[in-house]
Amino acid sequence: MIKINQTFIKNFWPTFHNHGQNSHLKSFYTFTDYWRLWVLSVLILIATALLPLCIVTIIHYQLIQKSVDSELNLRAERLSSNATSAINFFMEERLDALIFTVNEIGYDQLTNKRKLDEIFKNLKLGFGGLTDLSVLDTDGNQINYSGPFNLEGKNYKNQAWFSESLGKKYFISEVFNGYRDLPHIIIAVRSAKPDGSFFILRATLDTERLFQKLTSYRTGDHADLFLVNHEGILQTPSVNKGAIFEETDLILPKNSGNREIVETPPQKTDLFISKHSVISTKIVGTPFILVVQKKKADMMHTWLDLRRNINWTVGISAVLIVLVISFASTFMVNKLFLADKEKAETMLQMEQSHQLASIGQLAAGVAHEINNPLAVINQTAGYIKDLFSFKDEPRNDEEIVEYIDSILDSVDRCGTITQQLLGFVRQFDIKIKKVCLKKIIADVLNFHKKEAEYRQINVSTSFPDIIPEIITDKGKLQQILINLINNAFQAVDEGCSINIIVSWITMGTIEIVIQDTGCGIPEENLSQIHEPFFSTKQGRKGTGLGLSITYGLVKKIGGTISVQSTEGVGTAFTIVLPVKIQEKELE
Amino acid sequence: MKIILVDDEQKFINMLAKRLTMRGIQADVVFTGRDAINRVKDTAYDVAVLDVKMPGISGIQLKKELKSIDSDLKFIFVTGHGIASRSEANMIEEDLYLSKPLDIETLIKKLNKIIKTG
Repeated sequence: MIKINQTFIKNFWPTFHNHGQNSHLKSFYTFTDYWRLWVLSVLILIATALLPLCIVTIIHYQLIQKSVDSELNLRAERLSSNATSAINFFMEERLDALIFTVNEIGYDQLTNKRKLDEIFKNLKLGFGGLTDLSVLDTDGNQINYSGPFNLEGKNYKNQAWFSESLGKKYFISEVFNGYRDLPHIIIAVRSAKPDGSFFILRATLDTERLFQKLTSYRTGDHADLFLVNHEGILQTPSVNKGAIFEETDLILPKNSGNREIVETPPQKTDLFISKHSVISTKIVGTPFILVVQKKKADMMHTWLDLRRNINWTVGISAVLIVLVISFASTFMVNKLFLADKEKAETMLQMEQSHQLASIGQLAAGVAHEINNPLAVINQTAGYIKDLFSFKDEPRNDEEIVEYIDSILDSVDRCGTITQQLLGFVRQFDIKIKKVCLKKIIADVLNFHKKEAEYRQINVSTSFPDIIPEIITDKGKLQQILINLINNAFQAVDEGCSINIIVSWITMGTIEIVIQDTGCGIPEENLSQIHEPFFSTKQGRKGTGLGLSITYGLVKKIGGTISVQSTEGVGTAFTIVLPVKIQEKELE
Repeated sequence: MKIILVDDEQKFINMLAKRLTMRGIQADVVFTGRDAINRVKDTAYDVAVLDVKMPGISGIQLKKELKSIDSDLKFIFVTGHGIASRSEANMIEEDLYLSKPLDIETLIKKLNKIIKTG
C-alpha cells in the first residue's frame, strides 16, 4: 500500500521542481523552464475543457430565463387584465347608475332632499361603493346633498374637478382630498334642466372599497397592484412605490382611451415584471392607469433553485476537471522531464567519456614524450655505471659531470611534460580565470610537436600585435582547442599545413580560426557534423562526439562556432569568443 | 657483431652506442633515415636498430629501403610509444619490438637471438 502511494506521488507530484539544481546537467536539457511548460499545459487544457462547458451553461441559462420570463409576463398580463376589467367595471357600474338616475328622475325631484336621500339609499343598496350624492348648479353651488357629511351649501366653483366636469357630459376625477381632507373620487354627470341650463349630479366613490378591490387581486407577497394618474402620481397606496399622492418614476404609456398593456423596459436595478394598463370605461376615459408589479426574484424561485443546482454541478465539474487536468499535466510534464533528464545525463556521460578519451589520447602523447627523455636518462645512468664497472682506472670528473648534466636535462624535460599534463588535468574544474591565448594554443600544439615533425606537417600560428588575454573557463577552452587541433591533425596528410589565426573582431570579442589543408568535409555532411554520433571516420578512430561536444562547449563559454570546408581543399573552424565570459553562461 | 642504430633522439642513441661498444658490439650511429641508407650502402651490418617514428622516413619505410640494399640485414624496432596502427603492428614481429626506455641487456639478448636464428 505504501509502495502504491509512493508510485502515485512520484507520478503526480511535480518532480521537475528541482530542475536546474544540477548545473552540469542544466545545459543539456531541451526545455529550460518546466514550470512554465506545466502552467501552459494546464491553462490550454482548462480553456479547451471548460470553455464549451461554460458556453453550454450560459446558453442553458438564457433559454431557461427566457422561458421563465415569458411565463412571468403571461401571468402578470393575466393579472393586469383581470384587475383592469374589475376596476373598469367598478367605475362603469357607478357611472351608469348616475346616468340612469339623471335620465329617469328629473331635476325637480333630484333637488328634493327626501327624494335624493331615497335615491342615495337605493344606490348604496344596489351598487355600494358610494360615499355621498349631491346636485350642483353651473355656479358650483351644492343645491341638494345626501350623505353622512355636513357639506350642504358648499360651493365647488374653485375646485379643479368642477371646472373640468362642466366641459364634459360625463366625468371621473383623479383621487383628491377635497373639503373633507380625505382621498376620494368624484363621478359627475351633466344634464339639462327644463329651462335649458345645466346641472350636475355628483357622487363620491368609496375609495376604501376601490383599494380593497385592488388588494383582492394581490396574490401573495410578491405582487403589487396600484393606480397612478398620467403624471405618475400614486392614486392608491403601493407596496413598492409608497403612499398615496407620492410621485413615482414609472415610465407610463401614452394617454389612450383604449385598454392597453404596455411593458416597461427592463431596468437593471428593477427586479420587477411591470405591466401598465390604462383604465377607461365604455362611456368616458378615466385619469387612472393600473400598474401591476410582480417581484421577479421571488416569482422565479423555481428557476433560481434550478440555477443553484446547475451552478453547483458546473462548479464541482469544473473543480474536478481542473484537478484531473492538473494531475494529468503533472504526470505528462514529469514523464517529459524524466526523459529529458535521462537524455541530459546520457549527454553528460558522453561528454565525460569523450573527455576521458581525450585524456587517453593526451596520455599516449605524453607517454611518448616522457619515454624519450627517460630513455636518455636510462642510457646515461647506465653508461656512468658502466664506466665504473668496465674500466679499471677512475674516469676524470669532467666526463661524469657531462653525463650527469645529461641526466638532469632529461629530468627537466620530463618535469616540463608532467607540468603541462597537470595543467590539463586541472582544466576539468570549472574555473574562470585570465587565460593567455598564445600560451594555451602553444601548450596544445606542444603535444603534437613530434607528430608534426614525423609527418612533416607545417604548423603556423598568427597573433595580433596585442596578444589577447581573455577571461573564461580555461579547461573548456583547452578542451575545444584539443578537439579542433586533433581533428585538424587527423584530417591532414603528410606535407600539409595547419594554421591557427587569432584576431580581434571587436573590443569585446576575438576570433580563433583553425584551418587545415586536409581532405575537407563533403558538402552534404557539413550540416550534420555537430550532431552527436555523426562520424565519417572509419573503425575505432571516431566516436562521433568530438565536434558535438566542441559545439556544446563553445556555447557554454558564450561563444559561437562555424565551419567552412571544401572537399579536397581544406577546412576552417572559426570560433568567436567573448573576451570576458558572463557568469550566467556557465550556470 | 656490427650494428647500425637509427634514431632522431641523439643523446639516447649516442649513449646506447657507447654502452654497446663497451660490451663488444660495434655500433654505428645515424640520426635520419637518409643517412642510414647511405651508410648501409657503404658498410655491411648484421642488424639495424630502428626508431619506428622519425621525421622524414618512418622506421617501417626505412626497413623496406634497407632490405632492398642488403637483403641479409636483420632489424629490431625501438619506439617511445605503442605501435601507432594495425598496419605497423602487422609489419613488425612481436619479438623484434622494444619499448623505450630501453634495457640494454634485453637489447643484447635480442641481438644475439636474431644473429643465431639468422
